Amino acid sequence: MSSAAGPAAGRYLDLYSRRTGEAGFLRALRQQAIGRFEAAGFPTSRDEEWRQTNLGPLLRAEPEPAARHTLRAGEAAPFLYPDCHRMIFVNGRYAAEASSPPERVTAVALADLPAGGENADAIAEHLGATACGLASCSADARVHAFAALNTALFGDGAAIVIPEGVVVTRPIQVLWLSVPTLGRGDAGDGAASRLEVSFPRLLVVAGENSQATVLETHAADPAAGGYFVCPAAEFVCRAGAVLRHTRLQVDAADAFHLGFQHARIERAAVFDSSSLSFGGGLVRNDTVALLDGEGADCSLDGLYVVGGSRFVDNHMRVEHRQPRTTSHQLYKGVLDDRARSVFNGRIYVHQAAQKTDAKQTNRNLLLSRSALANSNPQLEIFADDVRCTHGSTIGRLDEDALFYLRVRGIPREEAHGMLVYAFARELVEKASFGPLREDLEGRLRSSLNGGRGGGRSR
Amino acid sequence: MLRVSDLHARVEEHEILRGVDLQVEAGEVHAVMGPNGSGKSTLAQVLAGREDYEVTAGSLEFDGDDLQEMAPEERAHAGLFLAFQYPVEIPGVGNSYFLKAALNATRKARGEQALDAMDFLRLLRERANLVDVDEALLRRPVNEGFSGGEKKRNEILQMAVLEPRLAVLDETDSGLDIDALKTVAAGVNALRREDRAFVVITHYQRLLNYIVPDHVHVLLDGRIVRSGGSGLALELEERGYAGITEASAGGSGG
Ligand SMILES: Nc1ncnc2c1ncn2[C@@H]1O[C@H](COP(=O)(O)OP(=O)(O)OP(=O)(O)O)[C@@H](O)[C@H]1O
Ligand SMILES: [Mg+2]
Repeated sequence: MSSAAGPAAGRYLDLYSRRTGEAGFLRALRQQAIGRFEAAGFPTSRDEEWRQTNLGPLLRAEPEPAARHTLRAGEAAPFLYPDCHRMIFVNGRYAAEASSPPERVTAVALADLPAGGENADAIAEHLGATACGLASCSADARVHAFAALNTALFGDGAAIVIPEGVVVTRPIQVLWLSVPTLGRGDAGDGAASRLEVSFPRLLVVAGENSQATVLETHAADPAAGGYFVCPAAEFVCRAGAVLRHTRLQVDAADAFHLGFQHARIERAAVFDSSSLSFGGGLVRNDTVALLDGEGADCSLDGLYVVGGSRFVDNHMRVEHRQPRTTSHQLYKGVLDDRARSVFNGRIYVHQAAQKTDAKQTNRNLLLSRSALANSNPQLEIFADDVRCTHGSTIGRLDEDALFYLRVRGIPREEAHGMLVYAFARELVEKASFGPLREDLEGRLRSSLNGGRGGGRSR
Repeated sequence: MLRVSDLHARVEEHEILRGVDLQVEAGEVHAVMGPNGSGKSTLAQVLAGREDYEVTAGSLEFDGDDLQEMAPEERAHAGLFLAFQYPVEIPGVGNSYFLKAALNATRKARGEQALDAMDFLRLLRERANLVDVDEALLRRPVNEGFSGGEKKRNEILQMAVLEPRLAVLDETDSGLDIDALKTVAAGVNALRREDRAFVVITHYQRLLNYIVPDHVHVLLDGRIVRSGGSGLALELEERGYAGITEASAGGSGG
């Protein structure tokens, strides 16, 4: 099928038409989303928000739904943390036998959504309320092709509803494991290579005055071939809730990862989220946070460590809609080889949002002459009594510090690693859950050792 | 131990060292004095292996090995130590973590066992005590936000932990109060041994009351213009450098 939106969009519309129907609110939601996608198509380089993201290689490939895969013993183990509630998805499908969701909360795979089951109303109310195929909730929002595709095409997904006043002490880990089964598809000139695609979907509703920690892990065997993962996540923090969230992205080096996440934070609620990106070939994360009640607070922090010819793009939009809301963003990037990154952060303060306190910082460390970081912080402020600061830096390793360490006997490579670690450590050490922190520290260290060639001693 | 002959070094287009000769034997303490900008720190940095300075002529030997063939860390492993005039702040790297990495890298290079956490901590406490460094400084990032004096003491602590064979102290006395000066001097004196040597760069005779040098050299315009015994420092204190210029250059002091 070809489409007015172009041949690439046509291939994804085909995926939709091959789906078997389903009833209820999901069906209406999907129809709306695919309609939006069909009208808008994929963004092009003329689209301001996508100018720096080269979708060419992704859009040339022929998508097909990721194959069913049964977990082999130990296959998920490298990515799992002890002492967690678990929901494991493989190629977008729920692996119930490997999962152990928490009991006092509703944590269900969306495909199994029981009609009229516990909290079904909450799920129906919030699923797709924000990640519905639009880039934000503002009236003039444009279509977000990937959020729309996810909404139209997701298979399983996790819906986690924490009831009012409940404190979930153990973290809830949601593992999205990709196990591509196609070889590196290269059908030669002309024919598009095949690409397995999955659409992970997450909804977290933290009820009033509830508390929980959700750890998302997007992972694959580092040696796995290419695939396309297109996740969407929605977080709703009701009044007084405290939701902590970590999103670890360790996809395979040839993977395409284009994700969308949206958080709505109500009165006096806290959303504290960290995004750590170590994997993938082309990675883009679009995050929208809506501070939608007086005194709402969010932290959106991130770290990207990129080498080779990989590309990571973080697009952030924080909207202060109500008075006395606070937001804090700290994103740091470490770029080596020919890696490229984009940080595009927009803080939008509505007229009603007096006494907003917003801070945004993006710091990049370039380790090679050919690495390139783009940083575009933007403020749009329509209230007069606010405190907003933003800043970005793009720098290189401190040669004086490197010399100092070497003069004390620390070999060049080790000294180099120490300084890069020192730059990034606050973001991995922010994790309060011990096993996660240790994992992040280990990943940061090994990502600094990997790809550090010789020939630099002296 | 150290043999510097006819050393010329420059940075970009500026020739800063213009024929330095210096010979230091084990067990000796040498003082290097000279006006601001005469090249003292440059000499120290060239010894440590700073790459910004290009050695255009002359030679540098440490125990018979050509220092120019050695990376900065290799010079450290061979037993060369430089206390920086301006110690570098390194945010994010803990002071004691750094010291442990430095010591164990050196031990490893020498084929010795790495110290485990317990043994290292014991050594660190003992040495911190010796040079009167507050333990709170050990837990902070390297030099970050340290006062001038704390930075200098931290350099001496590093020396005490690493136990070099030749320590070059670049104005370690500058910015120290009188008690700190005595402590630092005591630290140096405690480390003095038959097989160790010190090159102490200073502007003040005062330090030399506590660390009595065997030889004093005057560096002027990138050259050692006069060398003598400890009395030379006193003479400088009285007459300044003006009187020295006319006096004939001695060259090597060893
Ligand atoms: N990177 C550089 N570019 C240009 N000139 C330099 C550079 N580094 C040092 N110099 C110059 O070299 C000369 C010697 O500097 P050096 O730091 O060695 O002096 P010093 O004897 O240690 O002085 P002080 O007693 O003030 O510490 C100075 O004139 C200084 O300005
Ligand atoms: Mg100096």
